[in-house]
Amino acid sequence: MYIYLPIAEISMNVLTIIGLGGMVGFLSGVFGVGGGFLMTPLLIFLGVPAPVAVGTEANQIVASSVSGVLAHFRRGNVDFKMGLVLLAGGLVGSTLGVALFALLRQLGQIDVVIKLSFIVFLGIIGSLMLIESVRAMLRTRLPGARRGKLHQHNWLHGLPFKMRFRKSKLYISALLPFMVGALVGILSAIMGVGGGFIMVPAMIYLLGMPTAVVVGTSLFQIIFVTANVTFLQSVQTQTVDIVLAGLLLLGAVVGAQFGTRVGAMLRGEQLRGLLALIVLGVCIKLVFDVVIEPTDLYSLEFVR
Amino acid sequence: MTLRQTGTFIRTLVMTLAMVIGTTAAHAAVVADLDQKQVSITTDFNGAELLLFGALDLMEEDDIVIEVSGPLKNVAVRRKNKVAGIWLNTENVTLVDIPSFYHILSTRPLNDIADNKERRRINLGYENLPFVLATGSSIDEGNIEDWKAALARNMEASKLWAIDHDTVSTRKNALFRTDVVLPANIIPGQYSVRVVHFRNGSMIYEDRSSIRVEKRGLSAQIYEVAHSYAPFYGIFAIIFAVSAGWLAAVAFRR
Repeated sequence: MYIYLPIAEISMNVLTIIGLGGMVGFLSGVFGVGGGFLMTPLLIFLGVPAPVAVGTEANQIVASSVSGVLAHFRRGNVDFKMGLVLLAGGLVGSTLGVALFALLRQLGQIDVVIKLSFIVFLGIIGSLMLIESVRAMLRTRLPGARRGKLHQHNWLHGLPFKMRFRKSKLYISALLPFMVGALVGILSAIMGVGGGFIMVPAMIYLLGMPTAVVVGTSLFQIIFVTANVTFLQSVQTQTVDIVLAGLLLLGAVVGAQFGTRVGAMLRGEQLRGLLALIVLGVCIKLVFDVVIEPTDLYSLEFVR
Repeated sequence: MTLRQTGTFIRTLVMTLAMVIGTTAAHAAVVADLDQKQVSITTDFNGAELLLFGALDLMEEDDIVIEVSGPLKNVAVRRKNKVAGIWLNTENVTLVDIPSFYHILSTRPLNDIADNKERRRINLGYENLPFVLATGSSIDEGNIEDWKAALARNMEASKLWAIDHDTVSTRKNALFRTDVVLPANIIPGQYSVRVVHFRNGSMIYEDRSSIRVEKRGLSAQIYEVAHSYAPFYGIFAIIFAVSAGWLAAVAFRR
C-alpha cells in the first residue's frame, strides 16, 4: 500500500514507514535514547530528501519527547531550572541552526553537511560508548578495580554567573548549561535529532549532574527545542512532512513499548555496547557515502 | 418530400460525407485521444498509466512519434569534486525553463525515423530542448555537452525523461496506441501531448492535446497549507505532535 507524502513529494510504502518507525522506536525503548540520530539517516537511505528527513524528524521527536518526559515528570526526575537554562541556549542555537540550514541548502551543501555532522558525532559517541561498555564488562569480571572520581574541578567551574541548581545539587556558572544547550540546538536544527545522545553525556561529564535527573531534564528541554525547529523549518524551508511524521510516530510508539520490555532484561553495559555497535555501523555507512566516488558526479534539484 | 426527392437527398448526403472523409484522408489527419485527460495526485498516488490511441491514414513505411512534455522548471545541476577526501558539490549551474517531464515514444528509433535536421526543425528530442543558463551561472564552452548529458542522464534516472522506441503499436495501417507512463514523482501542471506522423523522414502532420496533472484531496491541502500558511502549519505540526505524544503516554501507562 503506497502513500504519497505531500511535502517529501514521493510515494512510499506505508508499511515501510511504520516498520521503520517501529524498529527505531524499539531500539529507543531498549536503549532509552530518542532515536533521531538513527531515524534521520535511515530516512535519507530510503530516499526521503535530506532536508525533509531533518525537518520531519524534528517534528516526530517533539511527540516522542512528550511521551517520554511524562514518566520522568511523575517520578520528579526533571530539574526545571536547569532545563530552562539549557532551553534558553537551545532556542538561540536552534534558531541559528535553522538559518544556517537554509543558507547551506541554498548553496547546495546541505546534504553533505548533514552527513558529515552525523559522521563526526556518531563516530565520537559510538567509540566512547564502546570503550566505556567494554571497560565496564571487564571491570565486572575483575572485582576490586577502582572507580574514578565522580567529577573533577577545572577551569569550567571558574566561569561567572554562578547559579544554584537544587535538584541537580550543583552550584555552577549558568553559562555552562547555556552553551551546552546552544550547541545541541544547532545540531538539532541541522541534523534533525533531539540531541539527547550528546546532551546526556554532556550533562553527566561536563556539568556533573546526577544521572537520575539527566534523562528527564534533557527530554524536557528537547521538547521545546525541537518544537522551535519544527516551527522555524515549517516557516523557512517548508520541509516538515506531517504525514510522514505521523506514520513514523505510529510505529515508534508501539515499537518503544516492546523495546522497553526487552531493555529491562538486558544488562546496562551490554546494552551500551550493542547501541555503540549500531551507532558505529550507521557512521561507517555514512563515511562510505561521502568518501567513495559517486556513480554520477552530477546531481539535479528543481529550484524556484 | 417524394420518394425520389428523398433518394436524391440521401445520395447527395452520402456524396458530401464521402468528400469530407476523402479530404481528411488526403491530409493524413491524425485523430488522437487519451483515456484520461486529468490525472490527480491523491494520497494513494503511485504514478499513472494513460492510454493514448488514435486513428490516421498510415502507409506501410510511416512512423508515429509521441512526445509528452511537462511543466517548465528551473533546475540546479551540481557537479561533485573530491575535496580533502570528500566528494563535495563544487560546481553549480542553474538552468531555466527545463521541461520537468519529457517522454518520447515511437514506432522505431528516432534516428531511423528522421534526420537531425528534420528533428531540429520540429523541436524533437533531448538535443533540441532549450538549454538556457540563469543569470549568474556559467559553463566553460568545452564542457557544455557534459552538462547537457548530465541533465538528461539524471532526468532519465528519476524516470522524468525517457526516449523509448518500439513503444507505439499500429494496426491495419489505421490505428495506433501507446501507454504513457507518468511516474510518482511528476510535477503537477499542464502536460502537452504531441502526436507526430512521419512519412519518408519528414513530418506530415501533428496533433496536439494536453493532460492536466493536479494535486487533489488531502495531500494537496496539506501541501497548500504548508506553503501558503507556513506559520499556521508549523504550529499545527507542534500541537499534533504534542497531543500524539501525550496520547501515547496515556495509552501505555501502567
